[in-house]
Amino acid sequence: MTIMKMEETAVVWTLLQSDLRPIQDVLSEFNSKFTRSRYFPVCSSLSILLQARALVPLPLPSSVLDFVTDPMILRSTDRLIAFAIMHQCYSSHKPSLNPFISEMINAACNEQAEKYERAFLLHLFQWNSYNNAKEILKLSAADYIKTFDPSTNEFPELGELQREYGNKADGPSSHMFADYALKKLLHDPDVPRGCDPNSPEFDVQVQPGGISKIGSGDRNEAVSGILGSLTMGGLAPRWIRPCPPRYPVHQSELLWIDPDNKHELVWDDKMCADTSRGATVRDLLIKGLKVTLSPTEQEDITTALANDPKLVYHCGITPRKLPQLVEHNPQIAVEILTKLINSPEIVDYFTALVSMEMSLHSMEVVNRLTTAVELPKEFIRMFITNCISSCENAKQQDKYMQNRLVRLVCVFLQSLIRNNIIDVKDLFIEVQAFCIDFSRVREAAGLFRLLKTLE
Amino acid sequence: MDSIPSDAARDGSICDEAIVLSVTCALAKDALSYFQSGKFHECIDILIQLNHKKRNDPKVLHNMAIAEYFKNACSNSKKLLEDLNTVKKQSEELAKEPLEAVNPGSNVSVSKDLFDSTVTTLNIAVTWFHLHQYAKCLSILDPLFLNIEPLDETIALQICFLMLDSALACHDAVKFLEVFGHLDKSFGVGFGTHEEIGSTMQLSSNQVSKTSSLLSSSAASDALKSDLAAAESGLCEEGLEYDNVLAEIEAEKRMKPVGHIPANNLLKTIGERSILTVDVKLELQLYKVRFLLLTRNVKLAKREVKHAMNIAQKRDSSMALLLKSQLEYAHGNHRKAIKLLLVSGIQKELRTSGIFNNNLGCIYYQLGKYQAASVLFSNALRNCSSLRKDNPVKLFSLSQDKSLLITYNCGVLYLACGKPLLAAQCFQKASLVFCRQPLLWLRIAECCILALQKGLLEGGNTSSDRSEIRVHVIGKGKWRQLMMEENGFVELGGSAQWPKLSLPLARVCLSNSMYLLNVSLMNDSKSDLESPLSVMINDTKEASWSDHGDANTNSELKEAKGGMNQDIIQNSLSAYKDIRRRENHLLKQALLANMAYVELELENPIKALSAANSLLQLPDSSKIYVFLGHIYAAEALCLLNRPGEAGAHLSAYLLGQEDFKLPFAQEDFDPWRMNMSSDCEETSDCSTGNARDSLKPEEARGALFANLAALFATQGHYDQAKPFIQHALTVLPNNVQATITAVYIDLMVGRSQDAVARLKQCTRVSFVPGRLEVRAS
Repeated sequence: MTIMKMEETAVVWTLLQSDLRPIQDVLSEFNSKFTRSRYFPVCSSLSILLQARALVPLPLPSSVLDFVTDPMILRSTDRLIAFAIMHQCYSSHKPSLNPFISEMINAACNEQAEKYERAFLLHLFQWNSYNNAKEILKLSAADYIKTFDPSTNEFPELGELQREYGNKADGPSSHMFADYALKKLLHDPDVPRGCDPNSPEFDVQVQPGGISKIGSGDRNEAVSGILGSLTMGGLAPRWIRPCPPRYPVHQSELLWIDPDNKHELVWDDKMCADTSRGATVRDLLIKGLKVTLSPTEQEDITTALANDPKLVYHCGITPRKLPQLVEHNPQIAVEILTKLINSPEIVDYFTALVSMEMSLHSMEVVNRLTTAVELPKEFIRMFITNCISSCENAKQQDKYMQNRLVRLVCVFLQSLIRNNIIDVKDLFIEVQAFCIDFSRVREAAGLFRLLKTLE
Repeated sequence: MDSIPSDAARDGSICDEAIVLSVTCALAKDALSYFQSGKFHECIDILIQLNHKKRNDPKVLHNMAIAEYFKNACSNSKKLLEDLNTVKKQSEELAKEPLEAVNPGSNVSVSKDLFDSTVTTLNIAVTWFHLHQYAKCLSILDPLFLNIEPLDETIALQICFLMLDSALACHDAVKFLEVFGHLDKSFGVGFGTHEEIGSTMQLSSNQVSKTSSLLSSSAASDALKSDLAAAESGLCEEGLEYDNVLAEIEAEKRMKPVGHIPANNLLKTIGERSILTVDVKLELQLYKVRFLLLTRNVKLAKREVKHAMNIAQKRDSSMALLLKSQLEYAHGNHRKAIKLLLVSGIQKELRTSGIFNNNLGCIYYQLGKYQAASVLFSNALRNCSSLRKDNPVKLFSLSQDKSLLITYNCGVLYLACGKPLLAAQCFQKASLVFCRQPLLWLRIAECCILALQKGLLEGGNTSSDRSEIRVHVIGKGKWRQLMMEENGFVELGGSAQWPKLSLPLARVCLSNSMYLLNVSLMNDSKSDLESPLSVMINDTKEASWSDHGDANTNSELKEAKGGMNQDIIQNSLSAYKDIRRRENHLLKQALLANMAYVELELENPIKALSAANSLLQLPDSSKIYVFLGHIYAAEALCLLNRPGEAGAHLSAYLLGQEDFKLPFAQEDFDPWRMNMSSDCEETSDCSTGNARDSLKPEEARGALFANLAALFATQGHYDQAKPFIQHALTVLPNNVQATITAVYIDLMVGRSQDAVARLKQCTRVSFVPGRLEVRAS
């Protein structure tokens, strides 16, 4: 993006060339044509133009003193107007806030520069005795140069001016690349050094249709060309910023499509249907919580459960009711538990079984379950521990009942061991202690011997 | 529907007993039969009657919603979802009431049955599935799956299959195994033992020869043969070859009504496969293969697909053939994949021709034949849109409409072809399905970056675009309020219009992607804590038994052994997890690198530096990304006026005083190269595919030279800078940045002649009348 628009370039260029109008007029026309927001771009362009004579471009803050042999692109009158504009744009601020102050200071102290130019700048700064800026601005640029008295001027040192108006701000750039940027206007090395572009030799009028002479050129064209092409910022070392590679496309990222199964919406066929699924079974089971069912009734339940594999989930036996069923109808209980083995709630049923009071029936149920399905080891262990402690607790009640219970437990354990349902090692100490405690019972002694053979 | 007759019989007997019920019962049957014969108006009339008799029975309302949906040609999925959700809420509330009122002991199970919302939930999930919301579908079905034992077998199967398809679509291997494990236990295929596999291998090879003999003897065999020939010959010349295939396909279509293709007996209409009629065993076997393909266990998949072919021998083997083709595709045997794809016969079905074109397009993409792939993908899209226009619309055809998936493929293709604007449009459309996938967002960001490089971004990012925090000024005068807006997950797309491609959009997409990636990484690590298999088998049992001491693992394992070979599954799964972990790691590096790049482009060095630093802190990163991390960090540091630290980043690669080592090797681009294939002709094809526009190691070295030179130059060490820039220009003779740096150095040491000479040498400089310009890179 260039700094200035084409029409702005034209305006600026005309203004610069108005060497016969009072500078004041030129300035006020400038003010009327440009808004405040355009000051900076215009002044930046002017500042580059003012330096545009060097064969070697000028490093930005460093001095401009070294390169004097080459003529300026701008004529001396143009330069004065340019400086006046640059000064005026920021005259409402302190001089040190003028972004171009350092260039103007440098120019004012440039010993090789024309004295009238330096004096002009000093007048603008109102430095010491240079105080009739107002008067000077009433003159036209050409008149100012004409009337300038070259003998009477004293010029300050660079340092003095810098101290006075010094520019401490860093300017608009903010990082090191920009800080070290160069003005990017470059003299074309094909134009020989030291050749005077003002010499009439080059400015022969080109005949219509003729070939223009090499080296002929138009200053106006060059200046407005520069003004029109200038861009912000200077030439700085450039950083190579490699673009990250595109994330690899794995072959699984491209979507290979397989046809899905047919997933249709499902009609709910339970609508208004029989809500009493398995009602007979349910009624029978409720009865079975209280009394032992007759063989035919038991048969009915078994067949119904076998016919409908999911019926067991709807038959109304909850873990809470399980102990009652176990007591009265152990076979049915085994049947139901076997079918529930895959249910997520089976754990609750086991817990109910473990925590119920030990009896012949509960042991029968567990014993039969062990042969029918795979029971969690932990459950069997818990159950055995419970059995043993029930035997011990039965002491207070009735010796006969206790003996009976002990014999049951022993038979139960023997059956578990023989069928390889439990690993004796897990329970060895517990069971051994139990056998010794109840060694008076014949079955306990038998169990003890069985343990010894396994040892 | 094997359970229906017995149901009906029982219904009958009970209706006799309860006369009150008989009327509604009969009406319900009528409604069902009207529904099944597609007479939805009549069906709804009856349902309205039923609704009068049984006020607000959720099941009546449910069936009404379904029938209404079909009556309106499946057009209003949103309303269906609303209706179903209302019904579900209602039945859940009704189910609660009796539980509270009645003593939990008497009739709980009856009321549970009455207000059971399983079917409603399933239908909600089915609807989401058809809307491509697979994750949602899974999460809805999850509670049903947890309590699947008591459910009727048909419903349970439907739930499981739907979950399997959704899990595959979500690439959720763990969830898939959970469900598959259950099905396997109930219907058992098992991951065969070795002897079994041996025998199946033999059988299947027989079968293959049988198939081929069938093919050769058939009338249509010539057409198929030339198909195959075309597929093979075409590997050399893209355009020609593709025309051949198309011509052959056309020829085959024309023959179809005349010549009866014997192969067709095997390849029945897989489009119509329905759960109820399907052979569960074959289905499970096919799912197993799909799982193995998902987990990229190509070896095992090969065995299992043979087994599947074996089972499918006398039935529909098109799906098995399709999977076989996918397997060869995954393996990089592209010719074989094309062959099998053609043999599978899915191109002959209107429903599946889109799928055929898409899959063939994938193969051609992998072969680097983008032109052909793009024609195939657009054909696939056309097939899909014609499917949508099908009248009457079947819900099924909606789910078979894979256009969004195909659109994603198009996006990948366009990006590879360097058409970022088209690619972005595709990705944005596909975001309806993939918006939770981090990769999608990275791809959109890549579109932005590519557009930037191609100069397709509309200029002038305003400062409000660049800033990360926006303060909205709301209201006027004394009511003026400021509202801060920060970067989180930014919802893009949906109903709202997508913004144009830009760098700020790239930034948003990258941060979305990072957010999603982190979420998924967090979930992964969570699920890693518990072995997925123990979860899947023991699930609830273990949870409550753990109070009682150590777990009952032994017996559980014994139980599981009957079903499938745990080791194989477990290995496959953990291998897959490893792959995913690696991919996610690479994705994270890519995201950070892109972030740093975009922030640099947006002139935000602080953010760029932090992204680059995070990239450098990742362990075991790809050398390429480490290099980019250093380069970006160094540039950001320069922009922050910290040249010393910037230099440290660059000099990490210094060899001696004045030389750099290669920051990475060509092998580091291995993940970028396409899937290897045994075919050398194909590999050479592929390697040009993706890696061609990526950074070369030598160029990276050149960048190091040039950047260190630039760094020295800014510090005024021109003598040091000079040899480096000289090196840089020998490596990258036409690099714009290096040339400019060189010119700068020349000018600074006062050699403007050299500078101009240099400009003249560089082919990327053009001397424009009135203006000196360097072409943008």
